[in-house]
Amino acid sequence: MADTEGAKKHIPSQENLLLAYMQRLESQKGEHKAVHLHLSDLKPYNRREHHLRAAENSFENLIKTLNGQLFLVKNSDMFFFFKNEAQAQAETVIQKVRFLFGDDPLLEDEHEGENLFSTWYDTGEDFQELLHLIEGLIELEEKRKKDTRARMDTRAALKIRQREGEPFTPEILSRVETALERADLSNLMRRQFVCSIDAQMIPEQSFSEMFISIADLRETMIPGINLMSNRWLFQHLTETLDRRMLSLLSKNDAQSISGDISFNANVTTLLSSGFQDFDDNITASRRGSMIIELQKVDIFADLGAYLFAREFVQEKGYRVCLDGLTHKTMDMVDRERLGADMAKLVWHSDMVDGGPDMHEKIRGMVKRANPAKVILCRVDTREAVDFGHSVGIKMFQGHFVENLISEDGRRRELLRLKRRMERAEEGPEFSEEYD
Amino acid sequence: MAQTGTVMTFPGSESTSEEAQLLTRLRFIEDDRAGYYAVQIFLSGLRASNRKPHFINIAAKTFDNLLNNFDVTLFKMDNADLVLLCKDVPVEEIDPAMHKARQLFGEDPLTDSEDGSFEDRFSTWYDLVQQGDYSAFLENITTLSEEAIERQRRQNELLSPNALPGERMQPKDLAAITLRLQTVEIDDLIHEQAAAVVRPGAKGEILFREQYVAMRELQKRVAPKVNLFGSNWLFQYLTETIDRRLLNSLARQDFEIMTDHISINLNISTVLGREFQHFHQNVGAHSSKVVVELQLIDVFADMSAYADARDMLQENGYRVLIDGLNPLSLQFFDPALLEADLVKINWGQEFENEDSKTRVNDMRQVVLNVGADNVILGRVDSEGAVIWALSLGVSRFQGFYIDTIVDAMLAKGII
Repeated sequence: MADTEGAKKHIPSQENLLLAYMQRLESQKGEHKAVHLHLSDLKPYNRREHHLRAAENSFENLIKTLNGQLFLVKNSDMFFFFKNEAQAQAETVIQKVRFLFGDDPLLEDEHEGENLFSTWYDTGEDFQELLHLIEGLIELEEKRKKDTRARMDTRAALKIRQREGEPFTPEILSRVETALERADLSNLMRRQFVCSIDAQMIPEQSFSEMFISIADLRETMIPGINLMSNRWLFQHLTETLDRRMLSLLSKNDAQSISGDISFNANVTTLLSSGFQDFDDNITASRRGSMIIELQKVDIFADLGAYLFAREFVQEKGYRVCLDGLTHKTMDMVDRERLGADMAKLVWHSDMVDGGPDMHEKIRGMVKRANPAKVILCRVDTREAVDFGHSVGIKMFQGHFVENLISEDGRRRELLRLKRRMERAEEGPEFSEEYD
Repeated sequence: MAQTGTVMTFPGSESTSEEAQLLTRLRFIEDDRAGYYAVQIFLSGLRASNRKPHFINIAAKTFDNLLNNFDVTLFKMDNADLVLLCKDVPVEEIDPAMHKARQLFGEDPLTDSEDGSFEDRFSTWYDLVQQGDYSAFLENITTLSEEAIERQRRQNELLSPNALPGERMQPKDLAAITLRLQTVEIDDLIHEQAAAVVRPGAKGEILFREQYVAMRELQKRVAPKVNLFGSNWLFQYLTETIDRRLLNSLARQDFEIMTDHISINLNISTVLGREFQHFHQNVGAHSSKVVVELQLIDVFADMSAYADARDMLQENGYRVLIDGLNPLSLQFFDPALLEADLVKINWGQEFENEDSKTRVNDMRQVVLNVGADNVILGRVDSEGAVIWALSLGVSRFQGFYIDTIVDAMLAKGII
């Protein structure tokens, strides 16, 4: 409750102080050692202010005797620099700090000989490495600040508006929903495959998602409007799209779509009479080949309703997929606990750019969710697939995957042609027969 | 066969409620009850959040197969209970459907006890051939019937001409309502409710006073015929406009002389928008007196925006509170991960009888992770809620019941 940290904002950041310190050290490289404490990897409840203060206090003696210098950066990691002579004391202090966090999973899960808590550097040998690390931290902090500023900047908002279109308003929502009730949307229905991809980049189809193309819907019905500009109005629109999707899927030609399919739905849709009608009209065996994708924001809007709806559809044989997870949210959402059969993680280049710590974090999340049940979606580069493989993901979806499928199709076609030509050379009497 | 509630009635009996139909049927078979038995499924014991009519209808549908293939009639009682009246049906035929219905409510305490065990509160079977069972069942349904009539009567009273009709809000209403919200007088609709520390035998302390717009009154003023809560998503849209009005109104206060701290509910988009910058200029160096409450649903809609908003608020001295949690959501999600300053958990009557060990332990863990001093139990309307929370180490509260306690404490000067 006390008025704290009022004046904090005008002091130069610890990251910048740290960089300045490194620059001063450059002339006396090798006289100091440094240790990086990965406190950001601890559970949030173990790194509250009083924890950090306790850790900070442990260094007090070494700092007072001018043997060391401590920096506490924004993500709550600490960097401690000390004179070579103070090595033994420094080790004791770090041991003490480590002890403070002894019951955190980070330390409990450490294997024999592994050190997840701290990394040690010699300012002589490792100077460049350390400098890069610190510069990286500053860059991250700058980017974060810039992102926040960009959101608040009218000029930036104006730019987005010019590029993405006019804002979505209630009038437009009302107009679109009325039009949607009678429009034939079958030509806006799209299909995208979810595939497992092996090391040779050969895709194998697992199921396909059926969806109404929002981009095309916008082009045909309301050009120049940015449907994403208001999340809540868009979310309401999806309820109407759900109903239309269900009726499209009930049509005969949709019933004949081969393989397992998935489609998006809101929880309210699953509990509506529209879904009951849909369900009454499809065969029991078809239910087993259908996967219903639910958005996390919808799930958490009314968890009780989600749990009920999930139980209801799974009992009938449908499978449930959590959609819209990101590398920032996936560790907060427990797929198994929520009883979902699979989960979709949205690809973002930050996942690769975040460095080894980020990679490790994602690997852990995927492992907890069960790698066989995670799909990396919106994959549009090979980099994404390579990254997915490196963290244990096997299934992928996105433009790049679609390209792989058509490439694979061409390759198979060529192979067939080649075989046919080979057989033709072997003997005319067998020609054509095998095709 | 294959019917929901028989249409058989005695001449002169005009009532067609399912209770009445069941009673009629029971009297009809009274003299020849061979092969008859009944199963009562106590869905009335579900949490209110699970007792919604469309949930009950879906649960009832799990018995469709039985109704189609055997001499089974399903009656839907007004209190949400379901009754199956069966004749010559092998008991094991009933089990799968019962199991399915039970599964649907797997997260509800009603189904905690083991199926068929002594303490099972989910269902009761009556062998109607036995005179004792028959009498007990008849008496039971008679009581239910009387209760249903009483409930109906009270509901009709509530639907008197003064009540708001409140039709579900549609997109076409939204434009007009938004427009009206921009100019409607709002200052007199801003109410406040204190969050306070309450410990047995100790002095109380006001944490902050939440400033909120009374929605019921606002609805009367801007759209008396439309239920603003009708659609979750459209209501969220409206709050963006309400935020701006609230901020503009509060910005006129003198934060220098303000004694108690305040809290305000805002959308993340509002926090990152121009109105908040304007508000911040007025708050100046007193930002530590302001708590900003953000809704969980908004946080989940865009986690990056949330992180930006949280960091910006905290760097400028505000405290961030996560609202919109309830004891159920805590079983699926650890709010400590959001790294906010405070967390508000909304109490609901359905948690009054929360005795499941795992659920209580989940709560305890959350309190531990977030820190007991950072947890506020909201919507507290009874002493029971306070006792429940105190046992978990939580001593910060808000709600109607707390209002009376705070008033009493103020009167006695112990706050």
